[in-house]
Amino acid sequence: MSRLRTALRAKPGWWLVAVLVFLSGLAAQIGAMPIGVADWLALPKLFGLSGFDDPTQVPAAGSHVLFNLRLPRLLLSLLVGASLGLSGALTQGLFRNPLAEPGLLGVSAGAACAAAITIVLLGEVTATMAASVRVWLLPFAAFVGALTVCFALDHMARWLAPGSISALLLTGIAMNALAGALIGLCTYLADDEQLRNLSFWTLGSLAGAQWLWVGLFATLLTLGYFRLTRLRQSLNALALGDATAQQVGVDIHSLRKQIIVWVALLAGLAVAFCGMISFVGLIAPHLVRLWVGPDQRRMLPLAMLVGAILLLVADTFARSIAVPAEIPVGIFTALVGGPFFLLLVRQTRGRIRGETRGQTR
Amino acid sequence: MSTGLLQLQDVVLGHGARSQAQHTSKSFSLNVSPRERLAILGPSGAGKSTLLHLMSLDLPPAMGSVTFKGRVSADWSVAELSHHRAVMPQNGQVAFGLEVHLVIALGRVARAQDPCVAAIVAAAAQLACVDHLLWRRCDTLSGGELARVHLARIFAQMWDVRDSLILIDEPLAALDLGLQVRILQSLDTFAAERHHAVVAVLHDVNHALKAFDRLVLVKEGRLFADVPSNDQAVPLFERLYGLRLESLRTADRSLVVLPASTRCQCP
Repeated sequence: MSRLRTALRAKPGWWLVAVLVFLSGLAAQIGAMPIGVADWLALPKLFGLSGFDDPTQVPAAGSHVLFNLRLPRLLLSLLVGASLGLSGALTQGLFRNPLAEPGLLGVSAGAACAAAITIVLLGEVTATMAASVRVWLLPFAAFVGALTVCFALDHMARWLAPGSISALLLTGIAMNALAGALIGLCTYLADDEQLRNLSFWTLGSLAGAQWLWVGLFATLLTLGYFRLTRLRQSLNALALGDATAQQVGVDIHSLRKQIIVWVALLAGLAVAFCGMISFVGLIAPHLVRLWVGPDQRRMLPLAMLVGAILLLVADTFARSIAVPAEIPVGIFTALVGGPFFLLLVRQTRGRIRGETRGQTR
Repeated sequence: MSTGLLQLQDVVLGHGARSQAQHTSKSFSLNVSPRERLAILGPSGAGKSTLLHLMSLDLPPAMGSVTFKGRVSADWSVAELSHHRAVMPQNGQVAFGLEVHLVIALGRVARAQDPCVAAIVAAAAQLACVDHLLWRRCDTLSGGELARVHLARIFAQMWDVRDSLILIDEPLAALDLGLQVRILQSLDTFAAERHHAVVAVLHDVNHALKAFDRLVLVKEGRLFADVPSNDQAVPLFERLYGLRLESLRTADRSLVVLPASTRCQCP
């Protein structure tokens, strides 16, 4: 048994990739429309990679479902899950706090709030814009909302008791409450169509997945990963405390700004396209930490893989449990994530208890 | 004009808004020469850590200037400064329970090319007597072990440079006597080999007298005295701490200072 554990710990990335590929294949087969081997083989035609041998031979419905619905959705769930896992790992490293997560701290709510404001309050303004601009307006608004909350959190975290878990989470409660209030206001002022759009944001769903979004997220993740890879050791240095990190030569101000921008990009764009999906950014880094430890050099790539698997599983359940209806995936992640968070709080209760007794850390 | 290692010119130890007159009356200048051993002593809350922060160029000085190796603090980039001075913190808590070898390696995070980092980490750990702890998590270590890990981190940081500065902030608090002596000895050997200057904030007067050449006494936010480390300092200690002291010479002619047996008057 211990030999298996050693093997698992040595090359966790490869194991996770294997699990991911296996589960992806499984998920592609699950759904209302049965998919056969012929449908998979017909895919290259739909991608335009090989011409039709016989013009009268049209690909079957299964391969259309595979190409237009299931594959983009599957890939999007992997990519968005990876984004959320990565942004969760970055948030925890930035705030030196194992209970930090963009959803809990109000970053996702801030993004949803900005999107809601754009839909409802700026509805007349946006109607006059060209369609090509309008398509990118919501993701941009979500990014701005997420960025605002991130900077506010970083500011507050600086003058709160350093390293205090409770203080940071309380700030997150305040951010969530504020964003929630504004979303509520927008809901009150919205007309029917706007209302339908808004409810999508608060629950989180991957139903509208398109190849364009898949391409966008793939680009974002690739860029983000290569940029952040060079910062992994500096992110480790943050664990030493601000003063010591500065003294070993890390420019913490510049580092914090970069991390904040990337967290806002990753979490904000995830909200923009898929609504609020919470707890993936909390669970993924925690599982990785349990498995291989807190070293950010391993944490970042592995959190991406674990996040991808988590969201894939959640979304597969969400679209197949109540066939033909669909449960928003955000509900699933909250159902699992909520109790998981309570478990985490229980595990770190020693540290929290120490804070409430007034001991400084 | 001395070409010393570190010059503090007309600095003050206060923070916040104070009157200009108060500032000038409390301002002082201090020079640290290369390879010097300097101990900062004083009662609690006197400003010893603030002085150390000034000397480590962590913060720009509120008044006056701090010059290190001929350049003022504004001319030093964070990364470059880390190649020339290392600071050992008073409370070295590490979040997330990172492993010891990783914490030691973080001393060299600001170096772009670092092919020998594993060897340096191993050697630094051995010098600081933590090589048996390399794979342990920091949150499972005792206070003394964590202090030695930070010492190893400093060693790794200053391993391949010479004529630089090491600053220590009350590292020996809450450590047993054996550990205190061993840490001071490792530090002394390391600094002597590489010609580093050492500035340490200490509580124990006897450690200061034994291992350091020069004493800077701080009281109530101002420089109280700047004296060589010999028996001339004893009357100054009495005024600094408000105690009667007895001094003794040991067999090897080193000076030891103890509180006198008479009861002290509380101020």
